[in-house]
Amino acid sequence: MFAYIIRRVLATIPVMAVVALFVFSLLYIAPGDPAAVIAGDQATPADVERIRESLGLDRPYLVRFGEWVWNILNGDMGVSIFTNLPVTTMIKQRIEPTLSLMVLTLILAVSIAVPMGVVAAWKHGTWIDRCVMGFAVLGFSVPVFVVGYVLAYIFALELDWLPVQGYTAFKEGFFPWLENLVLPAIALGGVYIALIARITRATMLEVLQQDYIRTARAKGVGQRSILFLHALKNAAVPIVTVIGIGMALLIGGAVVTESVFAIPGLGRLTVDAILRRDYPVIQGVVLLFSFVYVLVNLLIDVLYTLFDPRIRY
Amino acid sequence: MSASSLPSTIHVPAIAAPLPDVLPPFKPRRGFIGYLRKNPIMAFGGFLLLAMLATAIFAPYLWTVDPTALAPARRTREPSAMYWFGSDMLGRDVYSRVLYGARVSLLVGFSVAILSSIIGLTIGLTSGFVRWADAIVMRVMDGMMSIPPILLAIALMALTRGSVQNVIIAITIAEIPRVSRLVRGVVLSLREQPYVDAAVACGTRTPTIIWRHILPNTLAPITVQATYICASAMITEAILSFIGAGTPPIIPSWGNIMAEGRALWQVKPYIVFFPAVFLSMTVLAVNLLGDGLRDALDPRMAKRL
Repeated sequence: MFAYIIRRVLATIPVMAVVALFVFSLLYIAPGDPAAVIAGDQATPADVERIRESLGLDRPYLVRFGEWVWNILNGDMGVSIFTNLPVTTMIKQRIEPTLSLMVLTLILAVSIAVPMGVVAAWKHGTWIDRCVMGFAVLGFSVPVFVVGYVLAYIFALELDWLPVQGYTAFKEGFFPWLENLVLPAIALGGVYIALIARITRATMLEVLQQDYIRTARAKGVGQRSILFLHALKNAAVPIVTVIGIGMALLIGGAVVTESVFAIPGLGRLTVDAILRRDYPVIQGVVLLFSFVYVLVNLLIDVLYTLFDPRIRY
Repeated sequence: MSASSLPSTIHVPAIAAPLPDVLPPFKPRRGFIGYLRKNPIMAFGGFLLLAMLATAIFAPYLWTVDPTALAPARRTREPSAMYWFGSDMLGRDVYSRVLYGARVSLLVGFSVAILSSIIGLTIGLTSGFVRWADAIVMRVMDGMMSIPPILLAIALMALTRGSVQNVIIAITIAEIPRVSRLVRGVVLSLREQPYVDAAVACGTRTPTIIWRHILPNTLAPITVQATYICASAMITEAILSFIGAGTPPIIPSWGNIMAEGRALWQVKPYIVFFPAVFLSMTVLAVNLLGDGLRDALDPRMAKRL
């Protein structure tokens, strides 16, 4: 098992290398002169030259890539074109709201979606099942920012229960923090809930047909403990997998949610960077999110082998 | 009361009279219409999508005005008989803008679905058949899949000038890895099929095997995947435009209209509301169609999901 874990950890290195290579190479693959695009329409040739130099576009590709990777390994992601601050500093300043939002969404989504899927599978073919499936289709179809605006309009503007926008740091108290994040987390969680509920239902339907479930029923085990103890445990692997894979949706959605609810996080940083064409910042954020995504999925893969004795590689 | 007490004059027919013809002869409907009747949800999705397509195509004839015409004197009017969906802060007619916006959304959705299917099919077929290429291509795809699609599209858009064409290219690049993986998986399992072995034993050349035996079998899953890609591409396009990394502001796309209405949404929510409803309905239509196609093309999945 440990050999498997080590092999699995080593296998992520080429993936991360490809991510780094790809994010770096975009500067060179992009059609036209990226330095000119980044400098904008009103730039003087000197501006373009300065940006070209700061991006290292004037030096050979491989040399520049080597330097860039070496710097990242040493915790240096370059300097923002616009603010001249190190990208790592800018990311550090903005990471708390995004992390809060994503963790809260994750908890909220899993604790709503899994029971939803389980109940839908239990009441298979009834109106409850159809409601859950209908919700899932809607969740896939209504974009994050639409849900965000509708929620904000109803609960913040009309009912005045929650603040419309903004963010309060965690250290200023749990409830102010939560108050500001509830609506964004529900909005962001929509697609994620749909995805997890659907997979939970499908997997549970399969598991519930197995012999040991019938045995448990015959023994007189209660319905709740059949569903949540016997069946859900064995359905866990696909569900946890999809929770990991779905993180991509969460990351992409966070960028939008933060701009709808004016949360000063990494998503907001990305959007500002796009408007200013601050490529080093975008590069840094994309790289960071991708690595987090890879690591989360690595962690999930490794956890399987610890929790599910059926998995032996 | 015994039978003998009945009057003997009652005539009992030897053969029962034919039943009245209340039940018409059962004739199952077959073909396309019959299928749609059995799947009303898919029919609804298809109808909604067709309606949206018609809206996009015939936008100039649907009582619209020039979607870019400014009228500063009549800005932020509430929805009324003159401005069905109201007017925005530059006095442009939101109804016309939303209708013309359908063009951008559908164009991006369909283009990305078709392009990424074709490219993904090519890559998937190649890596399913050429062993040495497989390892390299799949590592590259793994890497690309590790970048959340929206972020990848954002990074690409930050380096190019905003245009519909660049948006299509950026979203296509972000979607390719998933299609390639899907096709490769199908190809690898098909290669093990006895009929492919038989074709190899007959001396069929590899290109012929791919064309005759492998490709047709990848079309069903790829069609289903393409509809889902179309749906997610439309959402991604709206997101890109909404955060200012998509189509240029002159083009009335749903994302752009919402981005412009964003500053005013607390007082004039309708500017954001109408494009949001249209976008959600269109994506819903495509998703329902995709679910219907999946059930039709793969009955085993229909039972599970």
